[in-house]
Amino acid sequence: MTRKAAGLVLLAVLACLLPHQLNIYWIHVADVAVIYGILALGLALTMGAAGQVNLAQVAFFGVGAYASAILTTHGWPFWVAAIVALLAAALVGLLVSIPALRVQSHYLGIVTLGLSLAFTNLVTNTALTGQADGLNSLVVPPLFGLNLSSDLVYYYVEIVALALCLAWAAFVVHTRLGRRFRAMRDDPLAAASIGAEIPYLRITAFVLGAVFGGVAGVLYAGLIRYVSPASFSLSSMFFVLAGFIIGGRFSLLGAVGGAVFLVLLREELSNYEAYAQILYGGLVVVIVVFAPTGLVGIVRSVAKAFKRRTERFSEGRAQVSDEASPTGLSARPYRAVRLSDGGSLAGVADSSAALLIEHVTKRFRGLTALEDVDLLVPAGQIRGIVGPNGSGKTTLFNIISGIYAPTTGTTEVFGFRTTRATSYRLARRGVARTFQNLRLFGRLTVRDNVLVALDQSRTIWAWRYLLWPFGVLRADAVMRQEADALLALYGLLEVADSLPGVLSYGTQRRVEIARAMARRPRILLLDEPAAGLNGQEMHQLAEIVRDVRASGVTVVLIEHNMGLVMSLCDQVTVLASGRVIADNVPEVVAYDEAVIAAYLGESSGDNGPRPAQVNT
Amino acid sequence: MQLFFQTLVGGIGFGAVYALVGMGFTIVYRTMGLVNFAHGQIAMIGAFLSATFFLDTKLPFAVAAIMSMAATAVVGLAIEGILRPLEARDFDLMLIGTLGFGVVLEAVATRIWGATGRAVPAPVDRPLQIFGIIIRTYDLVVIGVGAVATVAVWVLLNRTKAGAAMQAVAMDRDAATSVGIRVGRSNAMAFALGAGLAALAGSLAAPLLYVTPSLGSSLGIKGFCAAILGGFGNINGAVIGGLAFGILDGFAAGHFQQYSDTVTFLVFAVAIMVRPTGILGELTVNRA
Repeated sequence: MTRKAAGLVLLAVLACLLPHQLNIYWIHVADVAVIYGILALGLALTMGAAGQVNLAQVAFFGVGAYASAILTTHGWPFWVAAIVALLAAALVGLLVSIPALRVQSHYLGIVTLGLSLAFTNLVTNTALTGQADGLNSLVVPPLFGLNLSSDLVYYYVEIVALALCLAWAAFVVHTRLGRRFRAMRDDPLAAASIGAEIPYLRITAFVLGAVFGGVAGVLYAGLIRYVSPASFSLSSMFFVLAGFIIGGRFSLLGAVGGAVFLVLLREELSNYEAYAQILYGGLVVVIVVFAPTGLVGIVRSVAKAFKRRTERFSEGRAQVSDEASPTGLSARPYRAVRLSDGGSLAGVADSSAALLIEHVTKRFRGLTALEDVDLLVPAGQIRGIVGPNGSGKTTLFNIISGIYAPTTGTTEVFGFRTTRATSYRLARRGVARTFQNLRLFGRLTVRDNVLVALDQSRTIWAWRYLLWPFGVLRADAVMRQEADALLALYGLLEVADSLPGVLSYGTQRRVEIARAMARRPRILLLDEPAAGLNGQEMHQLAEIVRDVRASGVTVVLIEHNMGLVMSLCDQVTVLASGRVIADNVPEVVAYDEAVIAAYLGESSGDNGPRPAQVNT
Repeated sequence: MQLFFQTLVGGIGFGAVYALVGMGFTIVYRTMGLVNFAHGQIAMIGAFLSATFFLDTKLPFAVAAIMSMAATAVVGLAIEGILRPLEARDFDLMLIGTLGFGVVLEAVATRIWGATGRAVPAPVDRPLQIFGIIIRTYDLVVIGVGAVATVAVWVLLNRTKAGAAMQAVAMDRDAATSVGIRVGRSNAMAFALGAGLAALAGSLAAPLLYVTPSLGSSLGIKGFCAAILGGFGNINGAVIGGLAFGILDGFAAGHFQQYSDTVTFLVFAVAIMVRPTGILGELTVNRA
């Protein structure tokens, strides 16, 4: 941490000393480079952190530049015009974000690219924007009597702006808003299931990216004092995108560095324009194929390898080192915390229904996944849902947690009608879930995975980022303590700083449960929590589930392991071909004819009833 | 009314070009899982090649177009080799990687043919009058060639062994391997076919538009829009989407003149919001 800070200070000092090594021409180039750095910073937020493909960044840049140019030529003071220009960029960002609510990935890429083309087309033809000629002889920005027509002075103003932008972007990315962005990028479905309001987050991501584009645009208009459509063309878009990718798309500093580097490179090769293009286009391909995390990723892995090597030397060969390799990280065993064993129906169970499902049918085109399913789970129960593969168990969970809406029928959670509620709204109502095929946020540490879920605030809470940043920092510190307490409870504190991918499968499953419990839910849905666990881990899982229920949470679990279901659940619902075929206490269900037939086939039922023990 | 039909025919003409771009794009995506944003630049290379054969070598237009298709298909094989590491990566990386490659192709074209570009005269330029509607004969040629190419692609994919192999690879790569289909070769063929279609689109577009290195990005973006509008990954969708997009483009140009691009892309954005899966729909499986 201190090393990183020292590195940043060194960078800042170098950036301040740089102009003294350069002639007038190169200072101007450096001015342009810094502007592109800020532009790329916007991409790093929208695309890098929030995962929203944004090929309209250059249009945001243009809106900032043109708005400031138009207003200043109409006699507005520069800084007032600048603020209006930023608002205009934010507004355009908001509009461009609307398609992102419906489409993602390459679709979003082409839509934003098209809107970018629309912008160029518009400014090339409108009289207000000076058509193809653009607007020239713009005003020199006044600033406390500084002479900003000098490229050298302008450079220092820009460096301050860049530092502020970078600091604020880092603040966003590393606190709750950015954490949600990154969770959404890694897995939007899981992010919604822990209460992240995906639509608002996408809009916010675009607006933030657009504001950075606007800042770059205002600075550009002040520096060049001439704006024309050519500066905001597709080739500029690819150029800044290339910088962002080459530098490193998951790193703010990398994105800035990449863009600055490319501007300098382009200028160095300005006599060989086509070759420069081949070079940076080719570089993008090479980076995407061999180092998707960009130059920053390369530097990091080199540093890591170097560190490991020096450590090994210092330790000497006496030790049989590397026995606890980084992949061998393991969680501590879970220790049961229950004060009293709940027995079959714990004291919390009462007449109120935690979950009420009535006549739910779900069809996917021709396929009927669920047909007329009724389910009532009393509060405080541990309910098992079993059934052969393809019987509709996960579909049922997806309907309960709001990923699908039922074709017909209704769902209620603690008396609230939730039939059409979205995933994140259900999460706010107290529904938490895990997924059959683990859906942890791959690029977030275990601690961050839990922190995202702990965050109970609405997206609108984020106004504090602008007006009261200390509130954000303070709330984050509190959340961090809560996270560590929760991680300690689940025996995960030792692995808190690892990425989930390096952990064993069983530990990852436990992280997912911890993440769900971080929501402080009223109902916990577990989708095949024992899949892939060994005997000891399975025992611990049972302990965890009993503790969860003892803390007053209703648990519904899908499970194939009948031994676990029989020992753990108060009541078992059996699904077959989308219908409920049995719903009773485990002892009765195990000897139910229809259940045995569903599991073992009709013909094997003729030797008399026997327990439906499979997969034990 | 007369104007309406003239605009319509012109729009369908452009639509045929977009349909060809979208079809090539879709074939590559279906078989290799590669979202190729450099597809438009391949069409641009094809347009330049055909312009060179037609204007410099003085070959007949049709021969020039066919030679360009063949040459571009061969170039496509080399390109496929370069892009192969990008296949089956996550979509965002593919998008960025192929965009980068498109920049390279554009720069290469600028080196070879210069940035100024060339005007290609239409091989047939006598206007035709049917029921009082004046139609550019060349529009009819484009529409006819587009229709023939569409049928040919359909036959190739559905009535030949190589086509069946490509479809099999599209559906399940591993299963295709296990029944003895050489996935690598099948992919290369699919890419060559896509490149050939792109070259045909480029050749046909050359007399309608001006051939410059940046022709690629406009053809590519509009062809891609067409494919999405019709239903991504759906070959019939690419044809229908191409025609729809061409007609939209034609009427936007007729009514809003220089602002046509703005209108076209705004309408496209709205259309995609209303129906993200396109006109014919794409089938996606979303398993939680």
